[in-house]
This record gives sequence, C-alpha cells and structure tokens, in this order.
Amino acid sequence: MSDLWRDAWTLARKDLLIEYRSRTAFLSAAVFTVLVLLVFVFGRDPTAVAAVDLAPSALWVTFTFAAMLALNRAFQLELENQAFDGLLLSPASRWSLFLGKLVGNLVFVGSIEALGLPLFVLFFNVSLGTSLFPLIGVLALATVGFVAVGTLFSAMAIRTRFAELMLPVLLLPFVLPPLMWAAQATTALLAARPLSEIRGSLYFLAAYDIVFVTVSILLFPFLVEE
Amino acid sequence: MPEGVPQNAGYMVAAYVVASVLLVSYAVSLFLRLRKFSRGSGAPPGLP
Amino acid sequence: MKLARVGFAITVVSFVLLAGVYVRAFAFTPIEAAQGPAQKIFYIHMPAAVWTEIAVILLGIAGIFFLFLKDKRLDRFAEASAEVGTALGAVVLGTGPIWGKTVWGTWWAWEPRLTLFLLLFLLLVGYLILRGAVTDDVLRPRYAAVLGICCMIVVPFVHLSVYMFRGLHPDPVVIKPSRPSLPPEMLLTLGLSFAVFTLLYIGFVAQRVALARLREESGHA
Repeated sequence: MSDLWRDAWTLARKDLLIEYRSRTAFLSAAVFTVLVLLVFVFGRDPTAVAAVDLAPSALWVTFTFAAMLALNRAFQLELENQAFDGLLLSPASRWSLFLGKLVGNLVFVGSIEALGLPLFVLFFNVSLGTSLFPLIGVLALATVGFVAVGTLFSAMAIRTRFAELMLPVLLLPFVLPPLMWAAQATTALLAARPLSEIRGSLYFLAAYDIVFVTVSILLFPFLVEE
Repeated sequence: MPEGVPQNAGYMVAAYVVASVLLVSYAVSLFLRLRKFSRGSGAPPGLP
Repeated sequence: MKLARVGFAITVVSFVLLAGVYVRAFAFTPIEAAQGPAQKIFYIHMPAAVWTEIAVILLGIAGIFFLFLKDKRLDRFAEASAEVGTALGAVVLGTGPIWGKTVWGTWWAWEPRLTLFLLLFLLLVGYLILRGAVTDDVLRPRYAAVLGICCMIVVPFVHLSVYMFRGLHPDPVVIKPSRPSLPPEMLLTLGLSFAVFTLLYIGFVAQRVALARLREESGHA
C-alpha cells in the first residue's frame, strides 16, 4: 500500500520537476486564467449586471477552462521517445502511474487556482470574510472531481486525432454536475448564506469525488494494458 | 369541446411528425448502410 | 446476414405497430383536460426517454463485461446501443420542447428532466465521437468501454444535480409509489407505446450490430 503512494509521489515529482524547469505550461495557464477573468470583466455591462451576480459564473468558467488546458498536457510529456513505454516497464504499478499523474495534475491545477482566486476577489470586488475557507473547500472538492476524470480521459484523448479538442468534448459533460453544485455553493457563500445551506452540495461533490477517483484508478490500467 | 381545454392539437401533430421523421430517418440510414455492405464487399475500405 | 434480416423484420413490425399506437393516441385516448391534445406527446416522449437512458446503462454494462471478457460482440453491442440511444435521445429532445411550449409557454426552460436528457445526449454523442477518433482497432473498443462505463456511472449524478433546481416539468404522473394517477385508457396507450419502443430498440440494435460485424469483415470502413 505504501508502495502505491511512494511510487505515485515519485512520478508526480518527476512531472512537477520537469514542469518547474521549463515553466512554460504553468505560465501559459496562469496568463490564460487572468485573461479569461478579464473577458468576464470587460464582457459585462456594469450598469446592467452587478459584479456579485456574475462572480460565481466567472470563477467557475475560468477554472474549468484553465483545468482543461492543464489536463491537455498531462500525458504529452510521455509522447516522445516512447517515454510511456519506459514508464510501463518500470516496477511502478499501473495504479501508481495514474495516481502519480493525478497528484501532479492536482498540484498544477491547484497552483493555477491559488493564483486565480486572489485575482478573482480583486477584480470582482468580492468580500469573502468567513467564507474564504468554505470557498477553498468547495474549490478543492470540485477540482479533485474534474482532475480525476480529466486525467483518465486525457490518457485516451492523447491517442486520438484532434487530441486538444477531444478532451473538452469528452470531459465537459462529466464536469457539469460538479460544476452545478460548486456554482450553487459559491453563490450561497458569496451571499453570506449560512454554511448549512451548502451542505447538500458539499456532500454531492464529495460523493462524486470518491466515486470518480476510485473509478478512474480502477479503469486506467485497461487503457494501458498490452 | 369542454370549455377551458387548450386548442393545441397543432403542437401534438408537430411533435408526432418530428418523432416520425427522426425514427424513419434513422431506420433508413441503417437500411442503406446495411445494403451497401451486402452488395458484396464493393465498398473500398476507408469509405465512411 | 441473418441478424440483419431479423433486425429489419423486427423494425418493420415495430413501425407498423407504432402507427397503430399513433392511431390509438389520436383517436382512442381521452384528451387531458388541463393540457389539451398536446399532452398526447407524452406517449412518444416518455418511452423514448426511458429507452435513451436504458441505452446508456446497457452501454456501460457492456463495457464492463468487455473489459474482462474481451468479446468483440460486446463492443459491437455497445456501439449499437450508443447510436440507437442517440437517435432516441434526439426524439426526446425534439418532442420535449414542443410539448414544453404548450405547458410552460417557452420552448426551452432549464428544468430538470429535459436538462438531464440534453446531458445524456451529449454523453452519447461524445462516445460516438471518441469511437470515430480512435484509429487503432485494438485501442478503440477498450477506450470506448472505459468511456461507456464512466457515462453509465455519471448518470445518477446528473439526476441528482438537475433535480436540485425546482423544475417546471409536470409532476411524476406514472411512476409513483402508490397507484399511477393516469386513467386506464391513457395508461394502456402508454404501455403499448412503451412495448413498441422496446421492439424498436431491439430491431435497431440488431441491425446496427449486424452492420458493425459487416464493416469489420470487409476491412473496417
């Protein structure tokens, strides 16, 4: 059991180190996030739509698309030089392989969100107060769900024609339920509603995460078996 | 007709027509695609 | 090919019976007082909806069995179920808004059940697109099986999320714990229609499976 996590972490660290050395993907995703937020800011008529009404949508659309970008590169690292075969030949189990990719993606997307959230608060004049931690919680729950399914699907998308388009087409319908719950919770939090009101959404998000992380781990080996 | 019942039979017919068109089109597409293949393997591979 | 002929025969019979259902719905089923004749759209809309959802579930189950048994027939069935499900889903999305216009006054309202079927439709289309985009014959059925299983598993979550928003959909009239609220003539029409759609699904899937086999034998088009 500890092997599973140790190998996974080794693999995740490898990806994150490669990422850290070039930083291109991260910077692109970060800039993209800022730009999408700006699209929302400039795309609205300030006299017609209040910032606080648009805020939850802006937040979630931005992060959804940023996550999509991040996931697109998940398996691209191994495309060249048959690096993926090298990974498969290693003693790490298939589950570690997936878990490693998942953790790496989570760190990557999490970093983007850590950058985007303060900007979002700034641009939309959102007053968070005590809602900050619950909001981070909602963010984390939703992200785990997106990234789990996204990591699984990116392994498939990479072998198709039009890989960059294939991932969103496959992934977005799966992302809509957690998106609905997260948006509902965010709206409630920004309106300073009591926490009890978002409990349902949080439970559903957690259930989705548990189910899909498990399912993704179980199904991944079938994608890469001989 | 009793008073108050909406006169929307047109919508009913429209919906039934839409359903029929969709179902028949699919049936026909199946028929044509099957026919192409049982006319011997004349279709060159790679053709949709 | 025998399967294709049997499938074709079943389909033809289903269409004849469907015409019978149409006649029964128009002429021999009472008009619902509050909604008017447009309520009769229900007799087509609901069976199509049920079978669309069943198609997705069967797709997932076939995927699970395929991953373990590796039997090509399961993959052909999955592909067929997805395509037929898409066609039936189109019927749901086509008839739903027309009925909706008469009941809600608007062509599209983001109410739970139509939203659910829109998402199911997108899942099915995504599945078919994936199949078309994977060129490797060994990978395609495996990837499709994995996606199919995920589609099946996400269905309950979609149900949960769309019902969060109070909807305009008429309250469940048939599937209730106690006796269904439809009068017997309407219930019969619905039952007959459902039986016909079952036959239609079977006929379509049989033909589509036959088509898949023919394609493979001729070197995959």
